[in-house]
Amino acid sequence: MTAAPETRDLANRLLLYEAGAGKTSEPAESATLRVYEKLRQDLGEFAGVAAFQSLASRALALARTEAPSLSAARVAADGSLQGLGELEKQLDIDKDRAGEGGIILIARLLGLLLIFLGESLTLRLLRAKWPEAALNDRNFENGRKA
Amino acid sequence: MSTQDRVKINKLPTGVPGLDEIVGGGLPEFSFNIIAGAPGSGKTTLAHQFVFANASSERPALYFTVLGESAIKMLRYQQQYTFFDPAKLPDSIRFINLSQVVLEKDLGAVLEEITKEVEKANPAVVVVDSFRTMVRKPQSDMDLQSFIQRLALFLASWQATTFLIGEYAEDELRDNPIFTVADGLFWLRQTAERNSIVRKLQVIKLRGQDSVPGLHTFRITDAGVQAFSRTFGLTARKRNPPGDRRLSFGVPELDKMLDGGVREGDSVLIAGSSGTGKSVLATQFIAEGIRQGEPGIVAVFEERPEAYAERAASLGLDLETPQKNGKLTILYLRPLDLSVDETMQSILDAVQKIGAKRLVIDSLAGFEMALSPGFRADFRESLYRMIFALTGIGVTILSTVEVDESFTEFPFSTYSISFLTDDIIRLRYVSIDGQLRKIMVVIKMRGGNHAKDIREYEITSKGVVILGKRLTEYQGLISGIPVRSDRPDSTEEPSLDTGIEHKT
Repeated sequence: MTAAPETRDLANRLLLYEAGAGKTSEPAESATLRVYEKLRQDLGEFAGVAAFQSLASRALALARTEAPSLSAARVAADGSLQGLGELEKQLDIDKDRAGEGGIILIARLLGLLLIFLGESLTLRLLRAKWPEAALNDRNFENGRKA
Repeated sequence: MSTQDRVKINKLPTGVPGLDEIVGGGLPEFSFNIIAGAPGSGKTTLAHQFVFANASSERPALYFTVLGESAIKMLRYQQQYTFFDPAKLPDSIRFINLSQVVLEKDLGAVLEEITKEVEKANPAVVVVDSFRTMVRKPQSDMDLQSFIQRLALFLASWQATTFLIGEYAEDELRDNPIFTVADGLFWLRQTAERNSIVRKLQVIKLRGQDSVPGLHTFRITDAGVQAFSRTFGLTARKRNPPGDRRLSFGVPELDKMLDGGVREGDSVLIAGSSGTGKSVLATQFIAEGIRQGEPGIVAVFEERPEAYAERAASLGLDLETPQKNGKLTILYLRPLDLSVDETMQSILDAVQKIGAKRLVIDSLAGFEMALSPGFRADFRESLYRMIFALTGIGVTILSTVEVDESFTEFPFSTYSISFLTDDIIRLRYVSIDGQLRKIMVVIKMRGGNHAKDIREYEITSKGVVILGKRLTEYQGLISGIPVRSDRPDSTEEPSLDTGIEHKT
């Protein structure tokens, strides 16, 4: 089963937003890592490091079934994402595949949040972190689309 | 010190229906409170209700979670409650997880983390859930006491109203430094009684204001915790001294026996065995009230409202129209596991909603049977509290009770509740001339005259109709097996008791 299109779209929008922001502020870091780190920071404070680590591990396991290119990535005990750099290095060789892996990982993480917290609460948390990103909630149904 | 010289303590809404009344109008602002109880007793839900009722973006709430359930899981469940407003997250309500600090560091670091967040957010409300998991780590008593005192001092200085939530057993109440420091201590209990769960809340301590003592029933529904004050929320209502107004029963001869009718604000008991017409009289009482512009409530336990209204219609009494006009509510209260206070709260809510002046409880036996077995022991006490509260605000209550027919005794009630009533009307069967006929007598009328007569009556298509004059040609009527005397039937007017109260 793949990530729901609506969740992928949401992940894509966050990645595009961060890619745009990254050009000026954090050029060395990939958009995927920046989105992931912002989520880790926010959810880590909110739910605890252990809770975020568990969610992220589950999201990565789900994402790997769709994107084998994520096989080198792993979630460390503090919840940080490691091994994604290897994937990012492939960017020039296989840009589409690498970008797709990032979208799927973030989409799976958001999908889990939608399942556990529901659409309303998840979007509120995302909007608080990305106040300028256009995140509309019209495409979700009860947070069930993971 | 005069009242005007005292510092005014603001009272914050608890967000829990019924709890404001119990705590004396609201929770004192800037107080340091503990919610204690066993797992599953509703502690977190109660704290959430307080948080959602008081948090704003200007003065947010900080909700620190520790080693208990994760905030994600907690919010997954809590958002099912109707009080949960997602719009308040994350600006007005922020969840902060402290588990890492607790696991890796000491209480000093925990205090430092809380201090940092509080100084940053300037919260109106702070919750630490579960506080107990934080203090279970080995540390000296001095460390713990010092930590609690510093935390309480800091949060009060920062003008935050605080809740610490903890799983505590009742025997831990004594000699615990946490409880000494707390301004408010709320204890939630749940016990299994036979097949029912009984939940009770107790305000063990609340500095600065009067709370209602004792154990209060509470229930957790999709609206969250709802508490039922032992005073039924009527302590703040002004008591109406009983007036002289008499309320008609709609049965002229009975009104005469009552020296003009039931005194407004009285509690009347109609006692009799099955089929003697208790419900018919009660229906006539409520219908007469509506006819005179007095809204009424009928609480029925043994038949459905439709059946009750149909039976009234067969007596020529229209209960449908007043129900549509909001002048009458027929409450059918028969769910399982109902607590007595909860049932009474339903009655009180209905009374207050339509401004009822007359209330019929038909019957006390049905009422008792509708209760969860664990609550039946409290029945008389709760009934007393409700009758006292309602009659105090001028509602006239008529209750029916079935008594076993005895031909050797003349019981008024099998519930020993006659002390709750101002007036008692006894209906019974008697064997006369080879027929089972019915007689009625006013046994008691507190503070007023009433007829001493024993009157025969019949139940007709127009309801209860009292026949002729008092029965003087029989002796031993109240035994049920009278004997004919030589005196002829009386033609006198009903003789009134001169105010001597009958012992009941």
